[in-house]
Amino acid sequence: MNEHTVRSYEEELALLDKKIAQMGGLAEQLLGKSLDALERRDPTLAEEVVMSDRLIDNLEREIEEQVISMVARRQPMADDLRHVMGALRITTDLERIGDLAKNIAKRSLAIADESHPKPLMSGIRHMVELALHQLKEVLDAYAERDADKALAVWRNDAQIDAMYNSLFRELLTYMMEDPRNIGISTHLLFGAKNVERVGDHTTNIAETVHFLVRGFNIADDRPKDDQTSSTLISGS
Amino acid sequence: MNLMPSSTTKLNEKISIRKLNFYYGDNLALKDINMPLYERLVTAFIGPSGCGKSTLLRVLNRMYDLYPNQRADGEVLLDGDNILSAKQDVNLLRSRVGMVFQKPTPFPMTIYDNIAFGVRLYEKIAKSELDGRVEQCLRKAALWSEVQDKLGASGLSLSGGQQQRLCIARTVAIRPDVILFDEPCSALDPISTARIEELIDELKQDYTIAIVTHNMQQAARVSQKTAFMYLGELVEFDDTTKIFTSPQEKRTQDYITGRFG
Repeated sequence: MNEHTVRSYEEELALLDKKIAQMGGLAEQLLGKSLDALERRDPTLAEEVVMSDRLIDNLEREIEEQVISMVARRQPMADDLRHVMGALRITTDLERIGDLAKNIAKRSLAIADESHPKPLMSGIRHMVELALHQLKEVLDAYAERDADKALAVWRNDAQIDAMYNSLFRELLTYMMEDPRNIGISTHLLFGAKNVERVGDHTTNIAETVHFLVRGFNIADDRPKDDQTSSTLISGS
Repeated sequence: MNLMPSSTTKLNEKISIRKLNFYYGDNLALKDINMPLYERLVTAFIGPSGCGKSTLLRVLNRMYDLYPNQRADGEVLLDGDNILSAKQDVNLLRSRVGMVFQKPTPFPMTIYDNIAFGVRLYEKIAKSELDGRVEQCLRKAALWSEVQDKLGASGLSLSGGQQQRLCIARTVAIRPDVILFDEPCSALDPISTARIEELIDELKQDYTIAIVTHNMQQAARVSQKTAFMYLGELVEFDDTTKIFTSPQEKRTQDYITGRFG
């Protein structure tokens, strides 16, 4: 791609990418830490996650302001327009991911006194690892302007959904076995749901990257595999 | 940018440009241009200086006929008739295809006569009817309220933006089918520019409009179709929204994003 005749325009676009990368890195970090906090029931770490989320919020505001100012002053066109609008959308998704991580971390405080069912915990860890991998891939896809990579991320989300479905069933069974498990199970269930939502935001970013690079939307519908909203465990 | 769906009714090709080549002497200035101009739509022509967009506009009403050594081959069909043919009455053509230029060009006569002049050439009408026509055209050009008390004043006494609207009123007065705008706002301030753009928006309900502009945002705002030209070639022609969000050609992309050269 040729450079813009106006060099400061080029610099502003580069700055936008830098901020997105920074924000993406923070979101990854937060999600990882929130899981650690949940596993170890570590209130200090949880507190740290809550504080770091503010950095993400600040970056979101900065990026928003920069995009608005660029639209007003530069009137971006074509791929530049997709670039700044894409950045605006991605920043919103990343901010949501930060919020979800924060929410997971907070749950570690709520379940601090409860016993931890090991297998369930490893189920969530597995989900988070996959979500983190997806997030990293989609941020790379953005940095490299790689539509195929974004498409791969988009397709992969089905895996997270499938893991969430099976975890959901496990947790329901666990609750039915002993009502004393309901408290912790519900928190873990919400935690897992949050991770599943992170996957959805990652998918949104993948769609944005695809549009940014190719100029048209991903045509076919994403396979929707989250069936938990219609799942019931029958019998006793 | 016009976000209304442009295809609610079937598009009618008012002008069809086919295999058009244009020469300044031996110099080939337009190379094999093929494109339609649709009725009741605004088509914008963009491209760097010297790319041939004004030349193309000048072909559409055979302005080039006024100069020696300029010639066109190929076809330009207006309602199906080839206007490049030798049989074409150019005066009649220019009454059907009006033109507004970069700099306002009012005649050195009264505001009233600026408009009445062309009407008297083409039609025999009574004074009262002519008065009505003058008022109607000035209203259409959004100038009436500003000049109704001084129709006898010289057209040259108006401000630049008013003069340009007077020229548009003059063009509309002889009831053309097509109006060509060659950078109509490049000498105007932002408010006059907005008035002209509003006017173009209204005129498109009755006319087929082509506009050449260097102001990309203006092209994006006023037109429904955009043609990007470069070095005498038509590089890309598509819906305006498409051209300014996701053009297909790299040259279009580079030009509209300011990466050229």
